Amino acid sequence: MFPRQRRSVIAGSALLLATALGLTGCSAGGSGGGGGGGEFDPEAPVTLNFTWWGNDDRADRYNRLIESFNEEYPNITINGTFTDFPSYWEKRQTEAAGGGLPDVWQFSDTYLRQYGESGLLADLGELEDQIDLSTFSEGLLATGQLEGQQLSLPTGYSAWAVFQNDDLLTQAGVEPYEGGTDYEEYSEWMASVTEASGGAVYGGTDYTQRIQNFELVLRQQGGNLFTEDGQLAFDEDDLREFWERGDADRNGVVAPQNRLEEVVPLSGFDSKFTASEMSWSNFLAAYSSTTAASHITMVPPPTTDPDAKDLYRQGGLQMAISADTEHPEAAALFLDYVVNSPEAGEIFGTSLGFPASTSKLEGATLEGVDAQVAEYLESVEDRLGDAPPVPVVGYGALEQTFWDLGKSIGLGAVSVDDAVTQFFDEASATLG
Amino acid sequence: MTASPAIRPDAVAAPDSARGPVARHRPTGPARKRRRGDTLAGYVFLSPWLIGFFALTAGPMLASLYLAFTDYNIFQEPEWIGLGNFERMMEDGRFWQSVQITLVYVLVGTPVKLAAALAVAMLLNFRSRGTGFFRSAFYAPSLIGASVSIAIVWRAMFSTNGPVDGALNIFGIDIGGWVGIPALVLPMMILLAVWQFGAPMVIFLAGLKQIPAELYEAASVDGAGPFRKFRSVTLPMLSPVIFFNLLLEMINAFQVFASAYIIGSGTGGPAGATNFYTVYLYTRAFTNNQLGYASAMAWVLLAAVGVIAFILFRTSRGWVHYTGDSR
Repeated sequence: MFPRQRRSVIAGSALLLATALGLTGCSAGGSGGGGGGGEFDPEAPVTLNFTWWGNDDRADRYNRLIESFNEEYPNITINGTFTDFPSYWEKRQTEAAGGGLPDVWQFSDTYLRQYGESGLLADLGELEDQIDLSTFSEGLLATGQLEGQQLSLPTGYSAWAVFQNDDLLTQAGVEPYEGGTDYEEYSEWMASVTEASGGAVYGGTDYTQRIQNFELVLRQQGGNLFTEDGQLAFDEDDLREFWERGDADRNGVVAPQNRLEEVVPLSGFDSKFTASEMSWSNFLAAYSSTTAASHITMVPPPTTDPDAKDLYRQGGLQMAISADTEHPEAAALFLDYVVNSPEAGEIFGTSLGFPASTSKLEGATLEGVDAQVAEYLESVEDRLGDAPPVPVVGYGALEQTFWDLGKSIGLGAVSVDDAVTQFFDEASATLG
Repeated sequence: MTASPAIRPDAVAAPDSARGPVARHRPTGPARKRRRGDTLAGYVFLSPWLIGFFALTAGPMLASLYLAFTDYNIFQEPEWIGLGNFERMMEDGRFWQSVQITLVYVLVGTPVKLAAALAVAMLLNFRSRGTGFFRSAFYAPSLIGASVSIAIVWRAMFSTNGPVDGALNIFGIDIGGWVGIPALVLPMMILLAVWQFGAPMVIFLAGLKQIPAELYEAASVDGAGPFRKFRSVTLPMLSPVIFFNLLLEMINAFQVFASAYIIGSGTGGPAGATNFYTVYLYTRAFTNNQLGYASAMAWVLLAAVGVIAFILFRTSRGWVHYTGDSR
């Protein structure tokens, strides 16, 4: 296309420019980390960047919270932005590489090790003047702790539960599952729903696809998914046994996977293929809106040992401050307002999880689905144990791998044995 | 740049009238300066594109070449591991699965798409009423084909009780939705690609119009039928265009991403059936944070496409005929 010598000129300048860009790109990364040197002046005008994942409803609530915050601190301007969950983490990752993380941001315990071990999060324990930690229980504080540092705080918590669509059960003429039985009884109940509806509705979704159910079974035997030092706390046999446990259900009891593939990202329960499904308790509001069911019943998950403390308060939705913020105190004031203030309780209800802080809970009026979540959490009080160790680096990806393999088993595309091998291959690549 | 406005007026005024013909044949002093000025202006006008190319394409490409030999997760500094990523690739089952799916997609999808494009182009080459309308109508899908919305519509069409399932039911074929059956997802993806035959069709059409009518007339006089004319006149005369389309479509097919990402819900599902090369690369980079591995995969793809293009160019000497070319 180009004459020969012209081409070499272009190639030459390409190399030069690229090298120049590479050099400048390298030098930009080293800055940051110089914040918090001077004395904190609570009156000084400050602008903070704040970001979260979520939908319009959540954005509306955050905007109301920021307004209310500004009545108290008119000098602190909050720049709020939001995206959906998957792209949220893609953005944070590139910011982490470039040194441009927001001052305050919504956080997830799934990523605690990743960001915490890289020194990207501020220790909230050092900002005691601004943040009240006394309103949290020890167990909930632990969900944001890493090596003695408080790196994030939960906005709320939830517990694993069985959800049931009462409308579909009435149509089928089957009584709701009572909850807390052994797994065989749950499977029998699912089979009775599938049978009674003549296949129009299935009793449930294959629970062996979700790593949370595997975690529950491990905890019923006194174990966990991961050890304190971030290694797998189960072996091939545990996983094989768990996946094989679903073999009978997959034979015509639970919703067939090829139908479920068509409704992704909705679940079987969302799209009314299935009458029951297990998930986190804060899903109630979302399930109510996707199914439009007149009532959804929440009962405790099945268990192999009724006395085991297998459930736990999952404080996954958290708030964190970047280590290189220039205004750590102002950022801390805002973070405290989100996790602790009664105003936050009033504005958010249980939509960021059931309020973790006692002062935030005081502001919340629990009605409708919020009251139902509160009731459920109270009813499983006896089964709530210690929170599991902080998730390993790459847990988010492993959770997805587990789910994808579970679906492949459901489609008959992979045997349980092969799936177990693939999971452990992936885990060893992730955990290093 | 600062010097040129001062020089230009006399550079234009003096020599052009005085020794115009000479200047045209043998550029000396001022005329050469003017030419250099033009070149400079050309580069200035090109500069937005050049800056974009070097800053956004060439620079990152070089960076990814470096990262391909490292273990890099964004959070820690890249760690040099030599050929580690490439060795891991050899043993990675999902990598080979993605290679296989992508190759089937390219090797089946591209020829079928080109055949469809050529067939429709030949139909549209007949002068008849409404040709213009049909030309636009057939071209439209390729304009919107790569969009997210079409992938979503495609998903819905091939779902249980969707239009495709319904149509097959009429003929007594009951296979249900294609979306959830791993073996049928790739055919569904290939159909989506073939449906977007508009772009190569338009190029074929232009090529067909270039073929002199005398050749067909001469062939008719010699007693050639339609098939013989197609084989002995159309195909050889069209071979440069076929070559061009084949190269372009093949490279495009290797890079299929958006539709696979949407139809497989971003996870390569169901059961890895949409785990195309680019989807797997994306998963490794942005879900699993293995940017070194993903960079290595990107360079392997580039090399593979390069080798295939090279082979095509080499073999083209045997089957591509340029008119006026003695070879």
